[in-house]
Amino acid sequence: MKVGRFFSGYDIYIFLPVVFLIIWGILNIYSATIHEYKNLYLKQALYGIVGIGILFIFPRIDYRKVVNISPFIYIIGILSLVAVIFAGTTILGAKRWISLGLFTIQPSEFMKFVLIITTAYILGSRKENINTKKTLITVLTVGVPFFLTMKQPDLGTAITLLIPVAVMLFVGGLNKKVIYGVILIGILSSPFIWDHLKDYQKKRIIAFINPEADPFKSAYHILQSKIAIGSGQITGKGFLQGTQSKLFFLPEQHTDFIFATIGEEWGFIFSSFILTLYLILGLRIFYWGIKVKDPEGKYICFGAGSLILTQAFINIAMTIGLAPVVGITLPFLSYGGSSMITFSLIAGIVLSVIRIHKSQKLYFG
Amino acid sequence: MNTDRIKKLIYLFIIAFIILEGRLFYLQVIKGDYYRKISEKNHIRIMISNPPRGKIYDRNGILLAYDEPSFQIYTYPYLVKKRFDSIKKDLEKILQIKIPEKIEKKIKNGYASKVIIKKKLTQNQVKKFIDNWQFFEGIFLEVQPRRVYTKYARYMPHLLGYVGLPSEKELKENPDLTTDTLIGKSGVEKMFDRYLKGDYGAKAVMVDAKGRIVRTLWEKQPKRGSDIYLTVDARVQKIAYEAFKESGQKSGAVVIVDPKTYDIIALLSFPIYDIQKFSDGLNKKEWENLLKNRYKPLFNKALNGIYPPGSIFKITVALAALQEGVVAPYQKIFSGSQFQIGKWVYRNWDPRGCGKINIMQALEMSCDTYFYKVGLDLGSEKISFYARLFGLGEKLSPEIEQKKGRIPDPQWKISNIGEPWYLGDTVNYSIGQGFLAITPFDSTKILVPVLNGGYVLKPKLLKAYFDMEKRRFVKVETQRIRKLQIKRFFYNVIKKGLYQVIYGERGTAKLLSLAPVKNGGKTGTAQVFRHKKRKEKIEKWYLQNHAWFIDFVPYRKPRYVISVFVEHGIGGSRTAVPITKAIIQKMYSEGILNEGR
Repeated sequence: MKVGRFFSGYDIYIFLPVVFLIIWGILNIYSATIHEYKNLYLKQALYGIVGIGILFIFPRIDYRKVVNISPFIYIIGILSLVAVIFAGTTILGAKRWISLGLFTIQPSEFMKFVLIITTAYILGSRKENINTKKTLITVLTVGVPFFLTMKQPDLGTAITLLIPVAVMLFVGGLNKKVIYGVILIGILSSPFIWDHLKDYQKKRIIAFINPEADPFKSAYHILQSKIAIGSGQITGKGFLQGTQSKLFFLPEQHTDFIFATIGEEWGFIFSSFILTLYLILGLRIFYWGIKVKDPEGKYICFGAGSLILTQAFINIAMTIGLAPVVGITLPFLSYGGSSMITFSLIAGIVLSVIRIHKSQKLYFG
Repeated sequence: MNTDRIKKLIYLFIIAFIILEGRLFYLQVIKGDYYRKISEKNHIRIMISNPPRGKIYDRNGILLAYDEPSFQIYTYPYLVKKRFDSIKKDLEKILQIKIPEKIEKKIKNGYASKVIIKKKLTQNQVKKFIDNWQFFEGIFLEVQPRRVYTKYARYMPHLLGYVGLPSEKELKENPDLTTDTLIGKSGVEKMFDRYLKGDYGAKAVMVDAKGRIVRTLWEKQPKRGSDIYLTVDARVQKIAYEAFKESGQKSGAVVIVDPKTYDIIALLSFPIYDIQKFSDGLNKKEWENLLKNRYKPLFNKALNGIYPPGSIFKITVALAALQEGVVAPYQKIFSGSQFQIGKWVYRNWDPRGCGKINIMQALEMSCDTYFYKVGLDLGSEKISFYARLFGLGEKLSPEIEQKKGRIPDPQWKISNIGEPWYLGDTVNYSIGQGFLAITPFDSTKILVPVLNGGYVLKPKLLKAYFDMEKRRFVKVETQRIRKLQIKRFFYNVIKKGLYQVIYGERGTAKLLSLAPVKNGGKTGTAQVFRHKKRKEKIEKWYLQNHAWFIDFVPYRKPRYVISVFVEHGIGGSRTAVPITKAIIQKMYSEGILNEGR
């Protein structure tokens, strides 16, 4: 059967959850935005089609070829981050986007994908021990885009750039002493970082720790979102029936707060299902990370899995009042082309790793 | 790879997701009822209230702008959508309010975003609205400050600017704004918005399904804005306006500054528009009239218009020549009626020529042929260098200045005109013609350092502001940007030359010798179109040359630099000088200006 042969080597435990999340996202964006922005869901549908297209095509490309040219992709990524500084578009006080006429793209979002493959390229080559200058190069590689993104200012994305790389170093066998050292430096430098945060970032963190301090905007979002999700109860109010998340429209609702709409309209059972879906997706990617033989492939899996899990965790935690509002998307579900395409690329390359692994096993036992 | 660590990682994520799951269970199952009630019976709404903006005073405490309360009614479409037709009838019957189609459409198509139905209700309407509240369920009354401008403010609409609700772009750029926050949109209101605006108040209230407030959740009190004192002298601004108006000229600008502090005393762009009407909102026709007007009343020519300066630029060239040693102060140069480079002939404006003259006489007669020669000896790079030193082509105060003048050089010409720099360009440049262009405000930069001993200062519009935390007024000090390394003596040579412009035998502004206070200055006439024949008469206003005069007064201890620019004013001596004279006369007769000790 033709269709069967096309999909041989595609891991359905990754492929199906991702496709489901994308379609689910479009439906919920429709519900969240139809009152205020008539056509937004159509745009998201377009992004979704592109994303699913990537999922179909990318696994047929040998990921090793992509990893081999990752230094070049990295340079392009850095240049586009620099371009944001000079030619970026300012939205809500932050310069994160480049306008390309019809679309605006957010280079820092794509950088997540670029950093995963670049780190895999550095750590996965030749000798297995990474406690060499490999680590140093990795730190530099992630440091540059980290600071460029912090400067935009975009705390959330900057943190999510770091995490997959940290996980890759961690499972790669980074020396314990180094890990403790980094943690110590992190604690010592946190007052310094605090000083460099923008006012609104400080406000959000303060609002999270003490919601009474500045109830407006920051805490308002969290409270509204909690009411919306809580009012969904066990079975939810039903598709398009949510009132809370629409009446008191959260400006970022369709991007960062999409989970509030899901919680309100679909209730506890379905929200839990979405949570479980992310967990299955992430752990399944880890599973292949253990199984795959090629070190580059392994690193890609751990980077990708940890990114999807962390970002889903932080985003959902923020909508239910467990984390400060940092402005990161819910993978595959949130509105936005850059995020959609980035995560599709990440899932796509994981599928490629698995497919190559399977085909090699087929031929070489 | 480290399998032990991979295990730890997996456990970590599983635990993290169990925590999320637990929290969801708590919110949706345990507290679900509670939140469902909040969301069904009550809604939370944020209400923004704007505090009174700070008052604006002139330098002597004359009040220019203040706030008074005004009432408006608004609604949220989802509350009234279905019964809007009957509400509309009641509004029309009881309050005599006609609802524009645009607003009706907004309400019928909208959902949760606030829609303002009518601004500026009369007292009678407010009373009727309160008395008949039962008809207007879902319609709300609120107080919105209205900016009122005093009669002195009428003479400075461009300078003061206006206040309004933020545009979509401004909202995007500033995350602290809400759609209901009033902000300064231009002029002083925008420049010093940080003092004037205060902090908006906000209230999160629970409202029932009918929109009535059930209880207040949080409240943030508004903080009123700080009052400010401008450096502007409202009396002088009025004098400048009246002098310009009475001259019969149609369009131009007057800038008056204090050369010691670079305080801006007056900044007029002519013609003006009605600041109060503009602030309250113009109707379509009034808008169109303002936009169609050929003299561009909405355009702030004093800060945003750039024009060739003509002969007032000779001051800069003369200083450059002295400092560079191209000429000595008393060195005489023969300057005829024309100047020749190859086959190209450059004429003097006065066909009599100038004779054998020194630099002060050259300024007196505004002798073109003298400056052609001196300018060529200097070279265009040196002229541009000195122009930039004085702050031309630079925003000395980025807050106040919005447009940079244009200081040309060979590189500029290549990239903008696509031609190399010819010697003829330098010739034109040395008398302020050609590619050079400056704002009327820039013209004061030519004189300020000459009069204060060589200091390039930061222009100042704010004299003092009220510091809310310290509960007192804070004075704004003048900032020095740089000191020019030009011999003091040369400034006196220039001043002497500028004195001769008025009191000399062949001065170009002799009319000003009739002014009650001794002063000095320089005329300028800037070519707009190259006329084929010198005597060719062109009737059309927009083809006439621009007229300039920059004056300093009193001569001995200058307190004011007065720059008058008349757009298409034919000639400096003809139109700009009489306006300057009228200004000095009025300032004198009102006791603002005297000879000084």
